[in-house]
Amino acid sequence: MAISRSTYGSRRLAIVLFALLLAGLFLFPSQSQGLLQYIGGPLGQILSLPLAAFSSLDHGISETWDGYVALQGVREENRQLRRDIELLKGQNNQLWDSVAATQRYENLLNFKQQSSSRTVSAQVIGRDATNWYRGVILNKGESDGVRSEMGVVTPAGVVGRIVKANSTSSVVLLVTDPNNAIAGLVQRTRDEGIVEGTSHGRARLKYIPLLSRVQPGDRVVTSGLTGAFPRGLAIGGLTQVEKSEGDLFQSAEIEPEVDLSKLDEVLVITAPYEEADAAQKLLQEIHGDRKKP
Amino acid sequence: MKFLLYALLALMVVPLQTTLLHYVIILGVRPDLGLIAACLVGFFGGELDGLILGLILGCFQDILSAGDLWINVVTKGGAGFLAGLAGRHMAHITPAVLTIGLVIISSLSSGVFLYAMNPATVDEIWVGVRSTVLVQVGFDAAIGAALYAMFRRRWSDDRMVTEGAL
Repeated sequence: MAISRSTYGSRRLAIVLFALLLAGLFLFPSQSQGLLQYIGGPLGQILSLPLAAFSSLDHGISETWDGYVALQGVREENRQLRRDIELLKGQNNQLWDSVAATQRYENLLNFKQQSSSRTVSAQVIGRDATNWYRGVILNKGESDGVRSEMGVVTPAGVVGRIVKANSTSSVVLLVTDPNNAIAGLVQRTRDEGIVEGTSHGRARLKYIPLLSRVQPGDRVVTSGLTGAFPRGLAIGGLTQVEKSEGDLFQSAEIEPEVDLSKLDEVLVITAPYEEADAAQKLLQEIHGDRKKP
Repeated sequence: MKFLLYALLALMVVPLQTTLLHYVIILGVRPDLGLIAACLVGFFGGELDGLILGLILGCFQDILSAGDLWINVVTKGGAGFLAGLAGRHMAHITPAVLTIGLVIISSLSSGVFLYAMNPATVDEIWVGVRSTVLVQVGFDAAIGAALYAMFRRRWSDDRMVTEGAL
């Protein structure tokens, strides 16, 4: 007869260990969370080494794929791009005239007081370890000034917010996750609401006033009411507005501005509203660059 | 020494899960290598081995996940422990038996995750079951059975010893 090699003692030890773990988690939830958080710091550092190795392997595979395998049909794309260049040359001339006009308008506006955010750039090195949360892992952590609840963006718009940070890496909960909530604003009608993720992997603007005239195509931006994001960052465009009978609010589905499946480099907002003089300095730099031939 | 090997295994499995596994996505779901590893070690090594590896894997996965810090520790630890209990009461583990065991354990683990997501309506529960649980369970069972089929002879020899040998 065949039997397992495990002894009765190890079985008893396993039962006791698991029972103690469960008892600890349920009887002292906050203390056990704190303990796990405390253990997570050094473990995160240990984990960062293989994580970086696997991440560079992943990038290598992606580059090989993009550089060789995915190049089929490039000739046709090249022809199309040449046609586009001719078209864009014409448009470019027109835009130079517009630039001169914009310069004048800029002087008219009191642009100096406009605030800007301080950011830290970070690279996406992985995806959430489970299938239950829509999250990505960044290669920047507390040692780079990244903390929980900070906002994460790309030049295109909002990505999500930091939910966990250890010394060398951090985890971002994407805007499409149902556990995420960001204060949003419909740009055209100025109606405010809360942007939440859906279980279908999109986002939804909730609590829009019933009398609001929002419509598909309207753009949603951050309202600046929550600390993580400054006002006016693009979140996405409305695709479908729902107004049910008896409901106190409307809601609308949002197509996120950022392609969250192809994230590579992101910016973590460490200070949403930096000093006004920093903005002014930046503006002066921009003006300086434009005056150069 | 064995537990050091488990720690090294966890250091390989969790980064692999978070980086390269997006190449093997089916319907938006990746296999849970942590759960599969904890179950296989539990089946063939016993409750304590399964539990210890599960706890280490869960701890690492919690660091690299947006969820609460306890959820992977409990599910992976529990999976390894349950697999150990199941493995003890079976004289012969065949691929079919192992697949059924993985289906049950992966379903339980997914159930805990679904509960922790706090779905507001029955519709949300069904969406979670359809879009994630069913695919996840099938994927985990298939990968686990495939791994077992690959290393069947070695694992069987390790696990099965005659009473006389003891």
